[in-house]
Amino acid sequence: MAESISERLLISTEYQQALYSEPLLRPTVSPEIAAVILRYGAMVGAEIEHLSQAPRCMDLARSRILACEEENRSFASGRVIIADQLTNGKGRFLRHWHAPVGGLWMVLTLVNTLLPEHAALYSLAAGIACCETLRHYRLNATIKWVNDVLLNGRKVAGILTETMRGPKGGEEYILIGIGVNVNNASFAPELRNTAASMTEFAGRTFPLAEVTARLLAKLAWNIGLLHHVEAEQLAAGSGQSDDTPHPLIASWRSLSDTIGRRVRFGFNVAEAPQFSAKAIDIDNRGQLLMRLDDGQTVCENSGEIVYL
Amino acid sequence: MQDEIDFDQILSQYRSDPFEYIEVRTSHTGRLQFKAKEEDAVDGVTGEWQHIKGTLLFHLERERNVKPVHSTVIGVVSSVEHSLDGQFVEAGEKVMTIRHPLKKREIIDRILKNVLTLFPAPERAKYFFALDIQSRIDKHGQRSISIKPGDEILTMSLMKRDTPVTYQGEPGIIHSVYFSPGETMDQGQPLIGICSEDKLPLIQKIIARVKAEWE
Repeated sequence: MAESISERLLISTEYQQALYSEPLLRPTVSPEIAAVILRYGAMVGAEIEHLSQAPRCMDLARSRILACEEENRSFASGRVIIADQLTNGKGRFLRHWHAPVGGLWMVLTLVNTLLPEHAALYSLAAGIACCETLRHYRLNATIKWVNDVLLNGRKVAGILTETMRGPKGGEEYILIGIGVNVNNASFAPELRNTAASMTEFAGRTFPLAEVTARLLAKLAWNIGLLHHVEAEQLAAGSGQSDDTPHPLIASWRSLSDTIGRRVRFGFNVAEAPQFSAKAIDIDNRGQLLMRLDDGQTVCENSGEIVYL
Repeated sequence: MQDEIDFDQILSQYRSDPFEYIEVRTSHTGRLQFKAKEEDAVDGVTGEWQHIKGTLLFHLERERNVKPVHSTVIGVVSSVEHSLDGQFVEAGEKVMTIRHPLKKREIIDRILKNVLTLFPAPERAKYFFALDIQSRIDKHGQRSISIKPGDEILTMSLMKRDTPVTYQGEPGIIHSVYFSPGETMDQGQPLIGICSEDKLPLIQKIIARVKAEWE
Protein backbone atom coordinates (compact mmCIF):
# COMPACT_ATOMS: atom_id res chain seq x y z
CA MET A 1 0.00 0.00 0.00
CA ALA A 2 2.63 2.51 -1.08
CA GLU A 3 1.59 6.13 -1.00
CA SER A 4 2.00 8.05 -4.22
CA ILE A 5 3.02 11.55 -3.13
CA SER A 6 3.30 12.98 -6.65
CA GLU A 7 -0.24 11.85 -7.47
CA ARG A 8 -1.52 13.30 -4.19
CA LEU A 9 0.12 16.66 -4.95
CA LEU A 10 -1.33 16.65 -8.44
CA ILE A 11 -4.82 16.00 -7.09
CA SER A 12 -4.41 18.72 -4.44
CA THR A 13 -3.35 21.27 -7.05
CA GLU A 14 -6.18 20.33 -9.41
CA TYR A 15 -8.60 20.43 -6.46
CA GLN A 16 -7.73 24.02 -5.61
CA GLN A 17 -8.41 25.03 -9.21
CA ALA A 18 -11.69 23.08 -9.30
CA LEU A 19 -12.80 24.71 -6.05
CA TYR A 20 -12.02 28.14 -7.43
CA SER A 21 -14.14 27.53 -10.53
CA GLU A 22 -17.06 25.90 -8.68
CA PRO A 23 -19.01 29.13 -7.93
CA LEU A 24 -18.58 30.22 -11.56
CA LEU A 25 -20.51 27.10 -12.61
CA ARG A 26 -23.46 28.15 -10.45
CA PRO A 27 -24.50 31.58 -11.72
CA THR A 28 -27.81 31.54 -9.82
CA VAL A 29 -25.97 31.65 -6.49
CA SER A 30 -24.57 35.01 -5.43
CA PRO A 31 -20.78 35.17 -4.93
CA GLU A 32 -21.29 35.95 -1.23
CA ILE A 33 -23.49 32.89 -0.63
CA ALA A 34 -21.18 30.73 -2.78
CA ALA A 35 -18.26 31.76 -0.59
CA VAL A 36 -20.24 30.80 2.53
CA ILE A 37 -21.17 27.41 1.06
CA LEU A 38 -17.58 26.66 0.10
CA ARG A 39 -16.38 27.69 3.54
CA TYR A 40 -18.76 25.13 5.04
CA GLY A 41 -17.51 22.51 2.58
CA ALA A 42 -13.86 23.44 2.97
CA MET A 43 -13.13 20.43 5.17
CA VAL A 44 -13.54 18.10 2.19
CA GLY A 45 -10.04 17.06 1.22
CA ALA A 46 -8.53 18.55 4.40
CA GLU A 47 -6.08 15.66 4.11
CA ILE A 48 -5.63 13.52 1.03
CA GLU A 49 -3.96 10.13 1.09
CA HIS A 50 -3.26 8.42 -2.20
CA LEU A 51 -2.33 4.73 -2.41
CA SER A 52 -1.40 2.58 -5.35
CA GLN A 53 -3.49 -0.28 -3.99
CA ALA A 54 -5.66 -1.08 -0.98
CA PRO A 55 -7.99 -3.89 0.03
CA ARG A 56 -10.86 -1.53 0.78
CA CYS A 57 -10.81 2.25 1.41
CA MET A 58 -13.69 2.06 3.94
CA ASP A 59 -11.71 -0.33 6.14
CA LEU A 60 -8.64 1.86 5.88
CA ALA A 61 -10.64 4.91 6.96
CA ARG A 62 -11.91 3.01 9.99
CA SER A 63 -8.40 1.98 10.97
CA ARG A 64 -7.15 5.57 10.54
CA ILE A 65 -9.93 6.81 12.85
CA LEU A 66 -9.16 4.16 15.45
CA ALA A 67 -5.43 4.96 15.30
CA CYS A 68 -6.15 8.66 15.78
CA GLU A 69 -8.40 8.02 18.75
CA GLU A 70 -5.88 5.60 20.27
CA GLU A 71 -3.28 8.38 20.18
CA ASN A 72 -5.79 10.89 21.57
CA ARG A 73 -5.55 12.93 18.39
CA SER A 74 -8.43 14.57 16.56
CA PHE A 75 -9.31 13.02 13.24
CA ALA A 76 -9.29 15.52 10.38
CA SER A 77 -12.86 15.81 9.17
CA GLY A 78 -12.88 15.66 5.39
CA ARG A 79 -9.94 13.30 5.10
CA VAL A 80 -9.92 11.49 1.76
CA ILE A 81 -8.27 8.17 1.00
CA ILE A 82 -7.87 7.30 -2.67
CA ALA A 83 -6.54 4.03 -4.09
CA ASP A 84 -5.62 3.23 -7.69
CA GLN A 85 -7.18 -0.19 -7.26
CA LEU A 86 -9.00 -2.18 -4.62
CA THR A 87 -8.37 -5.85 -4.05
CA ASN A 88 -11.44 -6.43 -1.90
CA GLY A 89 -13.99 -3.79 -2.91
CA LYS A 90 -17.47 -4.27 -1.49
CA GLY A 91 -20.81 -2.64 -2.07
CA ARG A 92 -24.03 -2.90 -0.05
CA PHE A 93 -24.90 -6.28 1.41
CA LEU A 94 -21.23 -7.18 0.90
CA ARG A 95 -21.72 -7.36 -2.87
CA HIS A 96 -18.42 -7.58 -4.69
CA TRP A 97 -17.23 -4.28 -6.22
CA HIS A 98 -14.81 -4.70 -9.11
CA ALA A 99 -12.27 -1.88 -8.71
CA PRO A 100 -9.32 -2.17 -11.12
CA VAL A 101 -6.76 0.42 -12.18
CA GLY A 102 -8.34 3.23 -14.20
CA GLY A 103 -11.30 3.84 -11.89
CA LEU A 104 -11.71 6.33 -9.08
CA TRP A 105 -11.95 4.58 -5.71
CA MET A 106 -12.07 6.72 -2.64
CA VAL A 107 -13.56 7.28 0.76
CA LEU A 108 -14.40 10.65 2.30
CA THR A 109 -14.58 10.69 6.09
CA LEU A 110 -16.51 13.45 7.81
CA VAL A 111 -17.10 14.17 11.45
CA ASN A 112 -20.86 14.53 11.57
CA THR A 113 -21.96 17.86 12.96
CA LEU A 114 -25.35 18.02 11.21
CA LEU A 115 -28.74 17.54 12.82
CA PRO A 116 -30.27 14.14 11.96
CA GLU A 117 -32.76 15.49 9.40
CA HIS A 118 -29.93 17.19 7.51
CA ALA A 119 -27.43 14.35 7.98
CA ALA A 120 -29.96 12.08 6.26
CA LEU A 121 -29.14 13.94 3.05
CA TYR A 122 -25.41 13.09 2.96
CA SER A 123 -26.15 10.17 0.62
CA LEU A 124 -28.04 12.40 -1.80
CA ALA A 125 -25.30 15.04 -1.68
CA ALA A 126 -22.70 12.44 -2.64
CA GLY A 127 -24.84 11.17 -5.52
CA ILE A 128 -25.40 14.71 -6.81
CA ALA A 129 -21.66 15.43 -6.63
CA CYS A 130 -20.87 12.30 -8.67
CA CYS A 131 -23.54 13.05 -11.26
CA GLU A 132 -22.46 16.69 -11.58
CA THR A 133 -18.88 15.53 -12.09
CA LEU A 134 -19.90 13.34 -15.02
CA ARG A 135 -22.04 16.10 -16.48
CA HIS A 136 -19.06 18.44 -16.23
CA TYR A 137 -17.46 16.14 -18.82
CA ARG A 138 -20.58 16.38 -20.96
CA LEU A 139 -21.76 12.89 -20.17
CA ASN A 140 -25.51 12.63 -19.78
CA ALA A 141 -25.43 10.96 -16.38
CA THR A 142 -28.56 10.58 -14.27
CA ILE A 143 -29.25 9.61 -10.65
CA LYS A 144 -31.35 6.62 -9.69
CA TRP A 145 -32.76 6.93 -6.15
CA VAL A 146 -31.01 6.98 -3.72
CA ASN A 147 -27.68 7.81 -5.32
CA ASP A 148 -26.67 5.39 -8.05
CA VAL A 149 -25.26 7.25 -11.03
CA LEU A 150 -26.18 5.86 -14.43
CA LEU A 151 -25.13 6.37 -18.02
CA ASN A 152 -27.82 5.23 -20.39
CA GLY A 153 -29.32 3.01 -17.69
CA ARG A 154 -26.00 1.38 -16.74
CA LYS A 155 -24.31 2.03 -13.42
CA VAL A 156 -21.19 4.15 -13.71
CA ALA A 157 -20.78 5.19 -10.07
CA GLY A 158 -21.83 3.71 -6.77
CA ILE A 159 -21.80 5.14 -3.27
CA LEU A 160 -21.75 3.35 0.04
CA THR A 161 -22.31 5.43 3.15
CA GLU A 162 -21.69 4.12 6.64
CA THR A 163 -21.57 5.64 10.08
CA MET A 164 -18.99 4.82 12.69
CA ARG A 165 -18.98 5.85 16.32
CA GLY A 166 -15.51 6.61 17.68
CA PRO A 167 -14.86 4.20 20.56
CA LYS A 168 -13.05 6.75 22.69
CA GLY A 169 -14.50 10.16 21.95
CA GLY A 170 -17.95 8.99 20.92
CA GLU A 171 -17.65 11.15 17.80
CA GLU A 172 -19.89 10.16 14.89
CA TYR A 173 -18.02 9.71 11.62
CA ILE A 174 -19.68 9.52 8.21
CA LEU A 175 -17.75 7.36 5.75
CA ILE A 176 -18.74 7.98 2.15
CA GLY A 177 -17.22 5.37 -0.13
CA ILE A 178 -17.36 6.32 -3.80
CA GLY A 179 -16.49 4.25 -6.83
CA VAL A 180 -16.56 5.72 -10.33
CA ASN A 181 -15.76 3.73 -13.45
CA VAL A 182 -13.62 6.30 -15.25
CA ASN A 183 -11.07 4.73 -17.59
CA ASN A 184 -11.62 1.09 -16.67
CA ALA A 185 -13.73 -0.58 -19.31
CA SER A 186 -13.62 -4.30 -18.61
CA PHE A 187 -16.27 -5.76 -16.34
CA ALA A 188 -17.05 -9.20 -15.02
CA PRO A 189 -19.41 -11.08 -17.41
CA GLU A 190 -22.37 -10.73 -15.03
CA LEU A 191 -21.92 -6.94 -14.96
CA ARG A 192 -21.48 -6.30 -18.69
CA ASN A 193 -25.08 -5.29 -19.26
CA THR A 194 -25.50 -3.28 -16.08
CA ALA A 195 -22.15 -1.50 -15.56
CA ALA A 196 -20.57 1.24 -17.63
CA SER A 197 -17.58 3.53 -17.56
CA MET A 198 -16.98 7.12 -18.60
CA THR A 199 -14.41 6.11 -21.19
CA GLU A 200 -16.82 3.71 -22.88
CA PHE A 201 -19.39 6.43 -23.40
CA ALA A 202 -17.01 9.25 -24.30
CA GLY A 203 -14.71 7.22 -26.52
CA ARG A 204 -11.66 8.72 -24.83
CA THR A 205 -9.78 8.51 -21.55
CA PHE A 206 -9.99 11.09 -18.78
CA PRO A 207 -7.21 12.59 -16.63
CA LEU A 208 -7.95 10.73 -13.40
CA ALA A 209 -6.40 13.31 -11.07
CA GLU A 210 -8.54 16.03 -12.63
CA VAL A 211 -11.72 13.93 -12.38
CA THR A 212 -10.89 13.22 -8.74
CA ALA A 213 -10.31 16.89 -8.04
CA ARG A 214 -13.54 17.84 -9.79
CA LEU A 215 -15.47 15.30 -7.72
CA LEU A 216 -13.92 16.62 -4.50
CA ALA A 217 -14.94 20.16 -5.45
CA LYS A 218 -18.51 18.99 -6.15
CA LEU A 219 -18.55 17.19 -2.80
CA ALA A 220 -17.27 20.32 -1.06
CA TRP A 221 -20.07 22.31 -2.67
CA ASN A 222 -22.93 19.94 -1.98
CA ILE A 223 -21.87 19.08 1.56
CA GLY A 224 -21.24 22.77 2.19
CA LEU A 225 -24.76 23.40 0.93
CA LEU A 226 -26.15 20.94 3.50
CA HIS A 227 -24.46 22.90 6.29
CA HIS A 228 -25.50 26.24 4.83
CA VAL A 229 -29.18 25.23 4.61
CA GLU A 230 -29.09 23.87 8.16
CA ALA A 231 -27.59 27.14 9.40
CA GLU A 232 -30.20 29.16 7.50
CA GLN A 233 -33.07 27.10 8.88
CA LEU A 234 -31.73 27.30 12.42
CA ALA A 235 -31.33 31.05 12.07
CA ALA A 236 -34.96 31.23 10.91
CA GLY A 237 -35.97 29.34 14.03
CA SER A 238 -36.57 25.92 12.54
CA GLY A 239 -34.30 22.90 12.30
CA GLN A 240 -36.92 20.98 10.41
CA SER A 241 -36.72 20.50 6.67
CA ASP A 242 -40.30 19.35 6.10
CA ASP A 243 -41.79 22.39 4.44
CA THR A 244 -38.93 24.59 3.33
CA PRO A 245 -37.83 23.65 -0.19
CA HIS A 246 -34.28 22.27 0.02
CA PRO A 247 -31.92 23.32 -2.80
CA LEU A 248 -30.22 19.91 -2.65
CA ILE A 249 -33.54 18.20 -3.34
CA ALA A 250 -34.09 20.55 -6.27
CA SER A 251 -30.64 19.57 -7.63
CA TRP A 252 -31.43 15.91 -7.18
CA ARG A 253 -34.71 16.25 -9.09
CA SER A 254 -32.98 18.03 -11.96
CA LEU A 255 -30.38 15.27 -12.26
CA SER A 256 -32.51 12.21 -11.65
CA ASP A 257 -34.49 10.11 -14.11
CA THR A 258 -36.32 8.23 -11.33
CA ILE A 259 -39.46 10.34 -11.10
CA GLY A 260 -42.16 9.04 -13.39
CA ARG A 261 -40.49 5.65 -13.85
CA ARG A 262 -42.04 2.31 -13.04
CA VAL A 263 -39.80 0.66 -10.45
CA ARG A 264 -39.42 -2.44 -8.34
CA PHE A 265 -38.63 -1.67 -4.69
CA GLY A 266 -36.97 -3.73 -2.00
CA PHE A 267 -34.73 -3.18 0.98
CA ASN A 268 -32.40 -5.57 -0.84
CA VAL A 269 -34.13 -5.53 -4.20
CA ALA A 270 -31.92 -8.16 -5.81
CA GLU A 271 -32.66 -10.79 -3.18
CA ALA A 272 -36.00 -9.71 -1.75
CA PRO A 273 -38.06 -7.51 -4.07
CA GLN A 274 -41.13 -6.16 -2.25
CA PHE A 275 -43.39 -4.42 -4.75
CA SER A 276 -43.67 -2.64 -8.08
CA ALA A 277 -44.92 0.93 -8.31
CA LYS A 278 -44.55 4.24 -10.11
CA ALA A 279 -42.03 6.67 -8.61
CA ILE A 280 -43.84 9.99 -8.27
CA ASP A 281 -41.53 12.28 -6.28
CA ILE A 282 -39.04 12.64 -3.46
CA ASP A 283 -39.90 14.70 -0.42
CA ASN A 284 -37.78 17.23 1.41
CA ARG A 285 -36.11 14.48 3.42
CA GLY A 286 -35.11 12.59 0.27
CA GLN A 287 -37.72 9.89 0.82
CA LEU A 288 -39.09 8.28 -2.34
CA LEU A 289 -42.82 8.51 -2.91
CA MET A 290 -44.29 5.75 -5.04
CA ARG A 291 -47.81 5.04 -6.26
CA LEU A 292 -48.90 1.42 -6.10
CA ASP A 293 -51.23 -0.18 -8.63
CA ASP A 294 -54.17 0.23 -6.21
CA GLY A 295 -53.65 4.01 -6.23
CA GLN A 296 -52.21 4.22 -2.72
CA THR A 297 -48.94 6.02 -2.06
CA VAL A 298 -45.97 4.61 -0.18
CA CYS A 299 -43.04 6.60 1.15
CA GLU A 300 -39.69 4.85 1.65
CA ASN A 301 -36.66 6.23 3.45
CA SER A 302 -34.28 3.39 2.70
CA GLY A 303 -33.93 0.59 0.21
CA GLU A 304 -33.21 0.12 -3.46
CA ILE A 305 -35.09 0.33 -6.73
CA VAL A 306 -34.60 -1.12 -10.17
CA TYR A 307 -36.22 0.39 -13.23
CA LEU A 308 -38.78 -1.77 -14.99
CA MET B 1 -37.30 -4.60 35.92
CA GLN B 2 -39.98 -5.52 38.41
CA ASP B 3 -39.41 -8.74 40.37
CA GLU B 4 -42.88 -9.07 41.79
CA ILE B 5 -45.89 -8.92 39.51
CA ASP B 6 -49.36 -8.63 40.92
CA PHE B 7 -51.07 -10.63 38.17
CA ASP B 8 -54.53 -10.31 39.64
CA GLN B 9 -54.32 -6.58 39.81
CA ILE B 10 -52.93 -6.23 36.28
CA LEU B 11 -55.45 -8.64 34.77
CA SER B 12 -58.42 -7.10 36.55
CA GLN B 13 -57.27 -3.71 35.32
CA TYR B 14 -57.26 -4.93 31.73
CA ARG B 15 -60.58 -6.77 32.24
CA SER B 16 -62.36 -3.70 33.53
CA ASP B 17 -60.94 -1.45 30.83
CA PRO B 18 -59.54 -3.47 27.89
CA PHE B 19 -58.60 -0.37 25.93
CA GLU B 20 -55.63 1.79 25.27
CA TYR B 21 -56.30 5.53 25.14
CA ILE B 22 -54.16 7.05 22.44
CA GLU B 23 -53.62 10.79 22.55
CA VAL B 24 -53.36 12.37 19.11
CA ARG B 25 -51.09 15.40 19.07
CA THR B 26 -50.11 17.93 16.42
CA SER B 27 -46.75 17.33 14.76
CA HIS B 28 -46.21 21.02 14.07
CA THR B 29 -47.87 24.39 14.40
CA GLY B 30 -50.77 25.26 12.11
CA ARG B 31 -54.47 25.92 11.75
CA LEU B 32 -56.52 22.92 12.81
CA GLN B 33 -59.70 21.65 11.21
CA PHE B 34 -61.29 18.48 12.58
CA LYS B 35 -62.56 15.85 10.17
CA ALA B 36 -63.68 13.28 12.77
CA LYS B 37 -65.98 13.63 15.76
CA GLU B 38 -66.67 11.82 19.06
CA GLU B 39 -67.84 8.20 18.75
CA ASP B 40 -66.63 7.97 15.14
CA ALA B 41 -65.12 4.56 14.43
CA VAL B 42 -61.67 4.96 12.91
CA ASP B 43 -59.39 2.58 11.03
CA GLY B 44 -55.65 2.34 11.38
CA VAL B 45 -52.99 1.83 8.74
CA THR B 46 -53.62 -1.25 6.60
CA GLY B 47 -52.46 -2.87 3.37
CA GLU B 48 -49.75 -5.36 2.51
CA TRP B 49 -47.07 -2.68 2.75
CA GLN B 50 -48.86 -0.75 5.51
CA HIS B 51 -49.50 1.79 2.77
CA ILE B 52 -53.26 2.40 3.13
CA LYS B 53 -53.77 5.35 5.43
CA GLY B 54 -56.18 5.22 8.33
CA THR B 55 -59.28 7.40 8.76
CA LEU B 56 -58.75 11.12 8.26
CA LEU B 57 -58.77 12.82 11.68
CA PHE B 58 -57.96 16.45 10.95
CA HIS B 59 -56.21 18.89 8.65
CA LEU B 60 -53.32 20.97 9.87
CA GLU B 61 -52.56 23.94 7.64
CA ARG B 62 -49.31 25.87 7.75
CA GLU B 63 -48.38 28.45 5.14
CA ARG B 64 -51.11 27.18 2.77
CA ASN B 65 -49.71 23.69 3.03
CA VAL B 66 -52.56 21.47 4.23
CA LYS B 67 -51.39 18.31 5.94
CA PRO B 68 -54.03 15.59 6.40
CA VAL B 69 -53.52 13.62 9.62
CA HIS B 70 -54.83 10.06 9.68
CA SER B 71 -55.47 7.59 12.44
CA THR B 72 -52.69 5.07 12.95
CA VAL B 73 -54.84 2.69 15.01
CA ILE B 74 -58.28 1.12 14.87
CA GLY B 75 -60.73 2.33 17.51
CA VAL B 76 -63.30 4.96 18.39
CA VAL B 77 -62.77 8.68 18.87
CA SER B 78 -63.40 9.16 22.58
CA SER B 79 -62.74 12.87 22.92
CA VAL B 80 -62.12 15.89 20.72
CA GLU B 81 -60.78 19.28 21.82
CA HIS B 82 -63.53 21.23 20.06
CA SER B 83 -62.24 24.57 21.31
CA LEU B 84 -59.25 24.14 18.98
CA ASP B 85 -61.31 23.71 15.81
CA GLY B 86 -60.35 26.40 13.30
CA GLN B 87 -57.67 27.71 15.67
CA PHE B 88 -53.92 28.04 15.28
CA VAL B 89 -52.30 25.38 17.49
CA GLU B 90 -48.80 24.76 18.75
CA ALA B 91 -46.73 21.67 17.93
CA GLY B 92 -47.38 18.78 20.33
CA GLU B 93 -50.89 19.97 21.30
CA LYS B 94 -53.27 17.18 22.30
CA VAL B 95 -56.25 17.46 19.97
CA MET B 96 -58.16 14.19 20.38
CA THR B 97 -58.11 10.77 22.02
CA ILE B 98 -58.78 7.42 20.36
CA ARG B 99 -59.99 4.43 22.38
CA HIS B 100 -58.26 1.38 20.95
CA PRO B 101 -59.59 -2.09 21.92
CA LEU B 102 -56.76 -4.38 23.02
CA LYS B 103 -56.37 -7.97 21.78
CA LYS B 104 -54.84 -10.73 23.90
CA ARG B 105 -51.53 -10.45 22.04
CA GLU B 106 -51.45 -6.70 22.67
CA ILE B 107 -52.17 -7.17 26.36
CA ILE B 108 -49.27 -9.61 26.68
CA ASP B 109 -47.06 -7.16 24.80
CA ARG B 110 -48.06 -4.29 27.05
CA ILE B 111 -47.44 -6.24 30.23
CA LEU B 112 -44.12 -7.44 28.90
CA LYS B 113 -43.14 -3.93 27.91
CA ASN B 114 -43.44 -3.05 31.59
CA VAL B 115 -41.10 -5.79 32.68
CA LEU B 116 -38.61 -6.00 29.80
CA THR B 117 -35.81 -3.53 29.19
CA LEU B 118 -36.88 -1.86 25.97
CA PHE B 119 -34.34 -0.64 23.45
CA PRO B 120 -35.85 2.23 21.43
CA ALA B 121 -35.19 3.27 17.83
CA PRO B 122 -32.70 6.15 17.86
CA GLU B 123 -34.10 7.59 14.60
CA ARG B 124 -36.98 7.02 12.19
CA ALA B 125 -35.39 4.42 9.93
CA LYS B 126 -35.29 0.76 8.95
CA TYR B 127 -33.45 -1.66 11.21
CA PHE B 128 -31.93 -5.08 10.87
CA PHE B 129 -29.82 -7.22 13.15
CA ALA B 130 -26.04 -7.01 12.86
CA LEU B 131 -24.78 -9.83 10.64
CA ASP B 132 -23.26 -11.94 13.43
CA ILE B 133 -26.34 -11.52 15.65
CA GLN B 134 -28.61 -12.49 12.75
CA SER B 135 -26.58 -15.61 11.98
CA ARG B 136 -26.73 -16.59 15.68
CA ILE B 137 -30.50 -16.00 15.70
CA ASP B 138 -30.87 -18.11 12.54
CA LYS B 139 -28.89 -20.90 14.15
CA HIS B 140 -30.09 -20.88 17.75
CA GLY B 141 -33.18 -18.63 17.97
CA GLN B 142 -33.39 -15.12 19.40
CA ARG B 143 -33.92 -16.19 23.00
CA SER B 144 -30.52 -17.82 23.11
CA ILE B 145 -28.75 -14.59 22.20
CA SER B 146 -27.17 -12.80 25.14
CA ILE B 147 -26.26 -9.16 24.71
CA LYS B 148 -24.50 -6.66 26.92
CA PRO B 149 -23.88 -2.90 26.84
CA GLY B 150 -21.48 -1.93 24.06
CA ASP B 151 -22.46 -4.80 21.75
CA GLU B 152 -23.23 -3.82 18.16
CA ILE B 153 -26.62 -5.44 17.81
CA LEU B 154 -28.43 -3.63 15.00
CA THR B 155 -27.79 -1.69 11.85
CA MET B 156 -29.90 1.35 11.18
CA SER B 157 -30.46 2.08 7.51
CA LEU B 158 -31.61 5.53 6.48
CA MET B 159 -31.23 6.97 3.00
CA LYS B 160 -28.79 4.21 2.05
CA ARG B 161 -26.57 5.04 5.02
CA ASP B 162 -25.91 2.20 7.39
CA THR B 163 -25.20 3.03 11.01
CA PRO B 164 -24.27 0.41 13.59
CA VAL B 165 -26.44 0.62 16.69
CA THR B 166 -24.79 -0.20 19.98
CA TYR B 167 -26.79 -1.69 22.82
CA GLN B 168 -27.05 0.30 26.03
CA GLY B 169 -29.02 -1.24 28.85
CA GLU B 170 -29.14 -4.23 31.14
CA PRO B 171 -27.33 -7.34 29.94
CA GLY B 172 -29.71 -10.12 29.03
CA ILE B 173 -31.28 -12.12 26.26
CA ILE B 174 -33.33 -10.83 23.34
CA HIS B 175 -36.85 -11.81 24.39
CA SER B 176 -39.06 -9.77 22.06
CA VAL B 177 -38.43 -8.25 18.64
CA TYR B 178 -40.74 -5.40 17.71
CA PHE B 179 -39.52 -4.70 14.18
CA SER B 180 -39.30 -6.62 10.96
CA PRO B 181 -36.66 -6.09 8.26
CA GLY B 182 -37.76 -3.47 5.78
CA GLU B 183 -40.26 -1.88 8.19
CA THR B 184 -39.79 1.78 9.02
CA MET B 185 -39.73 2.34 12.77
CA ASP B 186 -40.42 5.75 14.28
CA GLN B 187 -37.92 7.33 16.63
CA GLY B 188 -38.52 6.08 20.18
CA GLN B 189 -40.48 2.98 19.17
CA PRO B 190 -39.11 -0.11 20.93
CA LEU B 191 -36.99 -2.31 18.68
CA ILE B 192 -36.26 -5.16 21.06
CA GLY B 193 -37.15 -6.17 24.61
CA ILE B 194 -34.37 -7.60 26.78
CA CYS B 195 -34.60 -9.63 29.96
CA SER B 196 -31.88 -11.06 32.16
CA GLU B 197 -31.70 -14.84 32.00
CA ASP B 198 -32.76 -15.29 35.63
CA LYS B 199 -35.95 -13.31 34.93
CA LEU B 200 -36.97 -15.48 31.99
CA PRO B 201 -39.18 -17.82 34.07
CA LEU B 202 -41.10 -14.77 35.33
CA ILE B 203 -41.70 -13.58 31.77
CA GLN B 204 -42.89 -17.04 30.72
CA LYS B 205 -45.22 -17.10 33.71
CA ILE B 206 -46.77 -13.80 32.62
CA ILE B 207 -47.41 -15.07 29.10
CA ALA B 208 -48.86 -18.36 30.32
CA ARG B 209 -51.10 -16.60 32.83
CA VAL B 210 -52.52 -14.10 30.35
CA LYS B 211 -53.04 -16.81 27.73
CA ALA B 212 -54.83 -19.03 30.21
CA GLU B 213 -57.02 -16.40 31.83
CA TRP B 214 -57.79 -13.98 29.06
CA GLU B 215 -60.68 -14.81 26.78
